[in-house]
Amino acid sequence: MEIKNANIDPVLKLFRSKLKVVNIGLEHFYRELKRQNIDVAHVVWQPRPKLEKDLEEILSKIM
Amino acid sequence: MVVLKNIVKKNFYRDSVQLLHLSEEAKKIEGVLNAAIVMGTKLNKEILEREGLLTDEGREATDNDMIIAIKVKDESLLPNIVERIERMLTAPGVAEERFFYSIDSAIEYLKEVNLALVSVPGQYAKEVVKPLLEKGIHVHLFSDHVPLEDEIELKKLAAGKGLLLMGPEAGTSIINGVAIAFANVVNRGPVGIVAAAGTGLQEVSVLISRAGSGISQGIGVGGRDVKSAVGGIMTLMGIKALEADPETKVITIVSKPPSPDVQDKIVKYIAENTKKKYVTCFIGGRVFEVPKGAKGRLIQTRTLHAAALEAVKLIDQKLYEEARKKIFLSPKEVLSIADRIISNLEKGQKYIRGLFTGGTLTYETLVIFKELIGDIYSNTPLNPKFKLEDPWKSYKHSVVDLGEEEFTAGRAHPMIDPTIRVQRIIEEAKDPEVAIIMLDFVLGYGSHPDPVGAHLSAIRKAMEIAESNGRSLTFLAHVCGTEKDPQNAIEQESKLKSAGVIVLPTNALMALTSAIVAKGGISEEELSRFYETYLVGSEGG
Repeated sequence: MEIKNANIDPVLKLFRSKLKVVNIGLEHFYRELKRQNIDVAHVVWQPRPKLEKDLEEILSKIM
Repeated sequence: MVVLKNIVKKNFYRDSVQLLHLSEEAKKIEGVLNAAIVMGTKLNKEILEREGLLTDEGREATDNDMIIAIKVKDESLLPNIVERIERMLTAPGVAEERFFYSIDSAIEYLKEVNLALVSVPGQYAKEVVKPLLEKGIHVHLFSDHVPLEDEIELKKLAAGKGLLLMGPEAGTSIINGVAIAFANVVNRGPVGIVAAAGTGLQEVSVLISRAGSGISQGIGVGGRDVKSAVGGIMTLMGIKALEADPETKVITIVSKPPSPDVQDKIVKYIAENTKKKYVTCFIGGRVFEVPKGAKGRLIQTRTLHAAALEAVKLIDQKLYEEARKKIFLSPKEVLSIADRIISNLEKGQKYIRGLFTGGTLTYETLVIFKELIGDIYSNTPLNPKFKLEDPWKSYKHSVVDLGEEEFTAGRAHPMIDPTIRVQRIIEEAKDPEVAIIMLDFVLGYGSHPDPVGAHLSAIRKAMEIAESNGRSLTFLAHVCGTEKDPQNAIEQESKLKSAGVIVLPTNALMALTSAIVAKGGISEEELSRFYETYLVGSEGG
C-alpha cells in the first residue's frame, strides 16, 4: 500500500491520549514505566510448549 | 579463608536484567567479596573467568542453566549466604503487584490499552505482535533477531491499519513525553523525530532539549526500516503522522545512511506530500539533490550534533545563537582542549580507544574519524577491512560498540551492566601506546541508575596504572542525558570532571577532539572546513 493513502487517525489519537501500556517480556521496562507513573500491566511471557501449539492446531482443524 | 563457589541450577531461567539486579543484591550480603548470578552462556562463562569467579562446576553449565558464582570471606559463612541468595531467587515480587500470564487478561484488566512494549525473543515476536495489531494496539518492538520477512509482514499489517510498529530493534521512543525502553526525559516542544537509530534519537532529543527547545514525539522505527527490503514503511508512517500532528513544527529524520532507493523514496515523499520544515540526518551520508517541492524547507546534516542545532535554528534563531555559544564548543575551544592533551603525551602514546555503549554514537565517531584521519578499527567498522580480528582486543586506533551481539548474548546491555566496559578500561590502560580513552554515558529511563559512579573506580585505577608507568592517560567523555533524567546529567558530568575526565557536550565534539589528537594537530582551515561540513547543515543541491 502507498503510505500517502494510509489512515493516520489512530496515530493522532495515540498522540492525544493518556498512555496505557502492556509490557510483554523484560520486567525491567515495566519497572521503568511504573517509575514514570504510567498505567502499565506486565505480562510474564514464556514460549508456549510445542505440544500445546500442536494441540491447538489440531483442535482448530477439527472444530 | 576465602572460598570461591559455583552453584549450577539446571534449567532455571531469569532474564538478564533481573539477574543483574540479583547479582548487585548478592554483593551487598555481609561476607561476600564478589558475586555474579548469570545464565551459563559461553560469553557469561568467559566474563566469570576474567573476574576469577568460575569453577569447574560453572564450566559445565549450559545456556539453560543458571550459575550462582560467589566469593566469600570465610567458608563458615557460605551456607547462610547461599540460603539468602536462593531465597532472593524464588522470592515473589512486591506483594501488591499483579503480574499477568496471558496478554489478553492484561489487556482486559487495563482497558483501552493503546501501546504494547514487546521484548520477547525475536523468533516469537510475530506470534505476539500480530494479535496486538489486529486489536488496534500500537507496538514498540524492542526485540532483535526478528526474521526480516516477519518484520515486513507486520509493518505492512500495521500501516494498513494506521498503526505504528516501532521496531524491531528499536531501542528508543518518546511518546507523549513518556520514555519508552531506553529514552531520556526531555522538554516537550515543537520538534518531532523519526529515527532508525536508537542512541541517535537519544542524542538528538537530548541536545535539542539542552539547547532550550523540545520534542513533540520521538518515533523509533528500527535500523532495518530504511533498508530496501522493508522500504521505509514506518519512517514514512512516522513522517505522515508528525506532518499531521498540530504540536509538531519541525520534523527531524535520523538514521545511518539508508539504502539509496529508500533515501530517494523518503526525500520524494517529503517533497510531494508535506509542507512542514525538515532536517535530515543520514549520518555521514552524501549531500543529495533536494527536489523542487522541498527546496527552502529541508536542511541536510551529517551528524547528530548538526541535526539538533539545525532543528533548533528552524524553531527559534535566538535560541540557536545562544545554544551555539553556551553548549556547542567553538573551533577555538576544541583546539585548545586538543592542544592541551597533545602537550601531555609521552613519546609513543598515539592511539585512541573508544569504548561505547551506544551503537549510533559509535557510528558517528567512525564517520568523523574517517573524515579526519581515515578508516579505523572497530567491531562495527565502516570499511570491512578494518574489522577487529578479536573484538575483545583493540588494535591501533579502535572504537568498539559494546552493545553488539558478541558482548551482549545472554547479558544485559552495557547501558545497564558496566561489567565488560570496566574490565576493558583497565586492559586499555595497560597499553603504553594509548593516548585517549573515549567513553559515552547514556542516561535516561532504561539505563543504569548511576553509570558514571559505576565506572569511577576503574577510571581512577586506569589513570594510576598509566602514571605508575610514567604516562598520563586522558579520558574524554560525553554524557547523553538531561538534568531531568533520573541520573541527572549535571551531577553525572560533575562526577566525571572531579575525577579529571574531560567532558564534551556532544558525541561529535568528543570524536573531533580525539581525532585531532590522533592527527597530532589540525590547521585552522581544516578545522573550520570540518565545522562547516559536519557540524552545521546545508540546503544541498
